[in-house]
Amino acid sequence: MSTILKLFVFPISIIIILVGLNTILGGHITPGGGFQGGAMIAGGLILCIIVYGLKESPFKLSHNFMASLESAGALGYVILGLAGLAFSGFYLYNLGVDLYHIVPPFIQNLFDYPDPVHAGIIPYLNFMVGIKVLVGLSVVVIAFLESDKILGEDEQ
Amino acid sequence: MIFYIGPVALGLLLGFILGTRIKPVPESKLKFDKEVYLIMIIAAIIVAYFLQPFPYYQDIPLASGFLAGMAGIIIGKLALGR
Repeated sequence: MSTILKLFVFPISIIIILVGLNTILGGHITPGGGFQGGAMIAGGLILCIIVYGLKESPFKLSHNFMASLESAGALGYVILGLAGLAFSGFYLYNLGVDLYHIVPPFIQNLFDYPDPVHAGIIPYLNFMVGIKVLVGLSVVVIAFLESDKILGEDEQ
Repeated sequence: MIFYIGPVALGLLLGFILGTRIKPVPESKLKFDKEVYLIMIIAAIIVAYFLQPFPYYQDIPLASGFLAGMAGIIIGKLALGR
């Protein structure tokens, strides 16, 4: 890729990543959410990886990091669901909102999202889904770029 | 002025996670020094101003989660991205 492109892509990818983050954070009140925001963040990472190549990319996305991040996203989602099951009897019950008034107030305060809407666990679920999606989509592109290496290992 | 900690905390967290992955690349001829990050911060403030706060947010006339994400990236880069 040209040098001009290499000069501009890293700052632009940071801005794209931040817009994706903004989409995740507004998922409970505006269109979009975890999946869309995660896809936008993955778009920023993929832009960097395609322009600089895997070796020279400023973002070093190792296998362990990606695996840990995806696991943390999935685990966080399940834990939020199980917390609902434990305190209310319903899986993924919105403990922060507590529509049926079956949860003690301190549990409701614990899972409350501190913003004017008080959307409960929804923003946290969006966050977890966003993490999972950003890893999932980035890994597809990294796997394609590393396909030569993988195929070479298979032939040997 | 009311300060909403939710979007700021989550923005900082995800920004920090991504910032830790920005590492220096010895093989590359391009170096992204502090001047580049300064320009990115200015660009982030301009974009956050045009994004405006979320529909029900009235804390500051900027997208607070967006700016928190930028701060998280810088902190993550300085803390673990070396």
